[in-house]
Amino acid sequence: MAVATEKRPAKIIPADVQRRGRGLIAFIVVLLMLAGIVQHSAVDPYRKQLDKTERNEALALGGLNSEFLLLPLLGFREAAAGLLWVRCDEFFHSGDYDAILPLVRIITWLDPHAANVYVTGAWHMAYNFTDSTGERSDRRYIAPSEALLNEGIRNNPRIYDVKFEKGWENFDKIKNYAMAAEAFQDAINTPANKEVDADDYPYGAPLKVWHILAHTYERMGRIPDAIAVWNQAIQISTQRLKQRGGRTKDFADFELHQAELHNRAEDYQRYFDRYTSINHDHVNTSPYPGVEWPFGGSSKPGPWDVSFSATVTVKRPKVLDIKGYFNAADGARIDVLLEDWDYKPHIVSNTTTAFAVDPNQTIMMDSIAVRKAEFEREIDMSKDPKMYSFAHEYYRLVLSYDPRTTAPHLQDRFGWNGEGMTDSDAAHVVVDNTPEMLGTKMIDGFGGTGPNWDGRTIPVWDGHTPPKDIYPPSQPRRLIMITYKLSRDQILGLQPITDKDIVPNQIMPLGPGQEP
Amino acid sequence: MTTAISIRGLTKKYIDVWQRQEVVAVNNLDLDVEEGEIFGFLGRNGAGKTTTIKMLLGLIFPTAGDAVILGKPMGDNSVKHLISYLPEETYFYESMTGWDLMDFYGRLFRIPQPERKRRIQICLEKVRLQPEAWHRAIRGYSKGMRQRIGIAQALINDPQLLFLDEPTSGLDPIAHAELRDIVASLKDEGKTVFLSSHQLADVEMICTRVAIIHRGKLLTTGTIKELVEGERTEITVRGKELANGLIDRLRPIATSIEPIGNDTLKLSSNDPERVSTLIDLVRGAKGQVISVMPHRRTLEEVFVETVRKEELASAGAAQEEGV
Amino acid sequence: MFAAIYAIAHQTVREALRRRVMWIFLVTGIFLIAMGPVFGFLSPRDSQTVLRSLGLAAILLAGLFTTIVTCIYLIPIEIERRTIYTVLSKPVQRFEFVLGKFLGGFAVVFINIAAMGIVFLAMLRMQEHQIPPEMVRGVIFTFFQMMLLAALTIFFSTFATPVVNFFLSFGIFLVGNLSSVTDTLTTSHNKISQIVGLAIHYLLPQFGNFNVQNQLIHPEEDIVNMSVYMRNNIAYALLYSAVLLALAVFIFDRREV
Repeated sequence: MAVATEKRPAKIIPADVQRRGRGLIAFIVVLLMLAGIVQHSAVDPYRKQLDKTERNEALALGGLNSEFLLLPLLGFREAAAGLLWVRCDEFFHSGDYDAILPLVRIITWLDPHAANVYVTGAWHMAYNFTDSTGERSDRRYIAPSEALLNEGIRNNPRIYDVKFEKGWENFDKIKNYAMAAEAFQDAINTPANKEVDADDYPYGAPLKVWHILAHTYERMGRIPDAIAVWNQAIQISTQRLKQRGGRTKDFADFELHQAELHNRAEDYQRYFDRYTSINHDHVNTSPYPGVEWPFGGSSKPGPWDVSFSATVTVKRPKVLDIKGYFNAADGARIDVLLEDWDYKPHIVSNTTTAFAVDPNQTIMMDSIAVRKAEFEREIDMSKDPKMYSFAHEYYRLVLSYDPRTTAPHLQDRFGWNGEGMTDSDAAHVVVDNTPEMLGTKMIDGFGGTGPNWDGRTIPVWDGHTPPKDIYPPSQPRRLIMITYKLSRDQILGLQPITDKDIVPNQIMPLGPGQEP
Repeated sequence: MTTAISIRGLTKKYIDVWQRQEVVAVNNLDLDVEEGEIFGFLGRNGAGKTTTIKMLLGLIFPTAGDAVILGKPMGDNSVKHLISYLPEETYFYESMTGWDLMDFYGRLFRIPQPERKRRIQICLEKVRLQPEAWHRAIRGYSKGMRQRIGIAQALINDPQLLFLDEPTSGLDPIAHAELRDIVASLKDEGKTVFLSSHQLADVEMICTRVAIIHRGKLLTTGTIKELVEGERTEITVRGKELANGLIDRLRPIATSIEPIGNDTLKLSSNDPERVSTLIDLVRGAKGQVISVMPHRRTLEEVFVETVRKEELASAGAAQEEGV
Repeated sequence: MFAAIYAIAHQTVREALRRRVMWIFLVTGIFLIAMGPVFGFLSPRDSQTVLRSLGLAAILLAGLFTTIVTCIYLIPIEIERRTIYTVLSKPVQRFEFVLGKFLGGFAVVFINIAAMGIVFLAMLRMQEHQIPPEMVRGVIFTFFQMMLLAALTIFFSTFATPVVNFFLSFGIFLVGNLSSVTDTLTTSHNKISQIVGLAIHYLLPQFGNFNVQNQLIHPEEDIVNMSVYMRNNIAYALLYSAVLLALAVFIFDRREV
């Protein structure tokens, strides 16, 4: 009865089903082609534009624990990034800073639009890896920090946050005011968007960016440009106050507006205090009351002789005692830089899984306060062998004073560009002709070219283009500096440090850790 | 009289996955069902009854052959407005209430409201499902209630032709009788019923014609009367002399001889004319005729006989082929 | 035609909503969304990002499992329990049955995503004092992605068992998420990679097209017109779903039940 057979018995499909089947096949083919066309021409090109970020998903996934792996695989990258960021926050509060960096890297790969992660990660690298004193941060992390910020800016060109952080880091940490100004200007140029603090919409970047840009120009000794920025900020805040009903409605904005007016007035005041009498010899044509030159005597006092001198001794291996004399009021600080003689910032590529630093590099920065014209400080680098490995043979030790970063009461005497200071040892005076660091020429005789600023003419700044062209900066800054070339043996105390180790001063590249 | 169902050469073959053999579920079936009759479709378990019905309804596809149902080819969707089906097991949505189920099927028939509501009411009353149960979930129904709702859903479209597969199986005697009567009443309404059942007593009672299939092959078909034709007469006889050569003389005439005890025999004959001859022979042997009982054949007996005969014939054929 | 499709869809929704597993996924999704404000200790921008990303992820995850688990059973269970006999013996075309099942499953997905979407948007309203239009778009986008997945699962259910279907659907969802990768492969110099890329990118449904959570969560950072992208993607989803349903009908027309 049952017959063994290899062939499956046929079945008779009804004719209408067969007819419909042929129609269906044709329908399927046509629709599939249409879907392919839509995919190719209407979806893929847009997706490519949407995803113009630098990320390395494979490495990100490779660095994840198993519990976090499934989320990105299912396409929930941002949720995984969010949860990892929470983890990061826990590490931060518990002080486990080393655990943070790898997570920051993975998070930014998973979600390149996590602006806060770029900002916080960069800040963390630049500020929080300190030695045992808790005061000196590991300067080797400056370059990776900058690289992370640059990546964050490339991935998020339409928000101001990361640009602002880059500006701040250059302003506060690296002291590269040219780069800071460029970054703040970039932040200001970022178009307005609703996601930013509602208060600042539709003005774009918040007014704090304008304020810090103005301060940056002040630090660079470009006072007319600083005033131009203050003018623009005042215009905006005035308009905003009007819109919001003035003082009674918005006290914070009112205070901000007052601060802007104050800062602008101070810039004018300081210019007239410092330069008007020098230039115009008691003739004060400014709206501000003239102030007698505080040190009396000639109406055109010359630059102040700071008579800088220093002695460096090694108390114990890697423990330096630096002391000396600097003839200035209390509040001055002598900057100390000790680095490998051939120190170069470490190049960071975005395929590394962590922001590793070169363990063989050494760089230390600190500053010493001047009290009653003297300064002394013990700098102990012996407790942090990982940070201060001293693996190279020669080191550069620079003791310097920068008028641009000093306190205002000292700037009142020395000027924004150091026109008011000198040293009896001419070798200690270094003129920085780096184009990006030039300030506005305001008095004769100190190396600036072009006309002096008249104290009135302010560039009209549209808020977008740096106001360079009215008074092109031409005044170089003047620094007081002593540079030593030391060997490892000297750092370790095996050989003494003498004045014979002093070498000619030179202007270093714009801040340590600056991207090449 | 027009033909409701006309089946020609219908065949269904499967590959038995486990034994890797071809199984013929329905073998070249030819069958006609006239309109207005209740047609019994009989066979053992696995004979091919449900397979045949599923092919006719388009649930599965034949390997060969075709059929015409109410003038339309098998599988035609439009004819389904005029037919209905009650499956062997009551495969319904357990979470639905009886009413909702009826409403669902009514919508599948595109019966609009309020007509649908009216029909549901009529059908449920017709199958004598208690009104309390109408809005209860089917999972709480007894077997009898499920069969009732099953028949109700088969009636909602007022079909011309019904396929009922074991409508009374597993029911208590009262429910059994009620549902049988409901099915029987369908004929009075002019409906055609294709009834597949093992309840031969019911089939014998209500069917006009029956067909018997075995292993997919149609064995016989005809009216009940035709199939059970041929009365048998049983004669019980007693006598001491009966053993002396009498059995040999009886054997060519009687259909069967069954000894009961030492001196009693039960004879039977399908031929009424031979009954007298048998009685005379027994009397001639000084035997005593205890009883003469005419015995009418049942459908069950016909069924068993027919199927057994086929099984023996198949076994013999298989033996000859050396299988 | 529509009456039968609607009746089957309606019945499908009723049956599906009774299944506890669907409610478990829904409750889990809502719970995950409700967890968002827990991260309020972060900075406002970060906690906003976490709430938005967790919310969208929860909707997608719960929607994914609800869609697959609901749709793998829709047709096979009818065949297994034989309830399909009393349906297909009625004047119901097989394509009406398939479409009705799909629409029923689709409606369940809609209910699921709508419920989670409402909770999510309510959370956002509480947290951000507004309902961000990008997040509304995100929920709608997820819905269409699940529609495509439902069509895929229904297609497999016409010939595969539920267990096989689960892994097939889930697997293709994962592979289909690699749209950026397969798109890159289509221009590869390696011929085999190119062929594989082309096959996957144009023959399999591209779920990766819908992975724009990042751009929705950070709308300020992209220049492309998101509305146009979404419109194009929805068109793709509708087209491809139609392909899958047509294939499902083709197969089911020939299936013996």
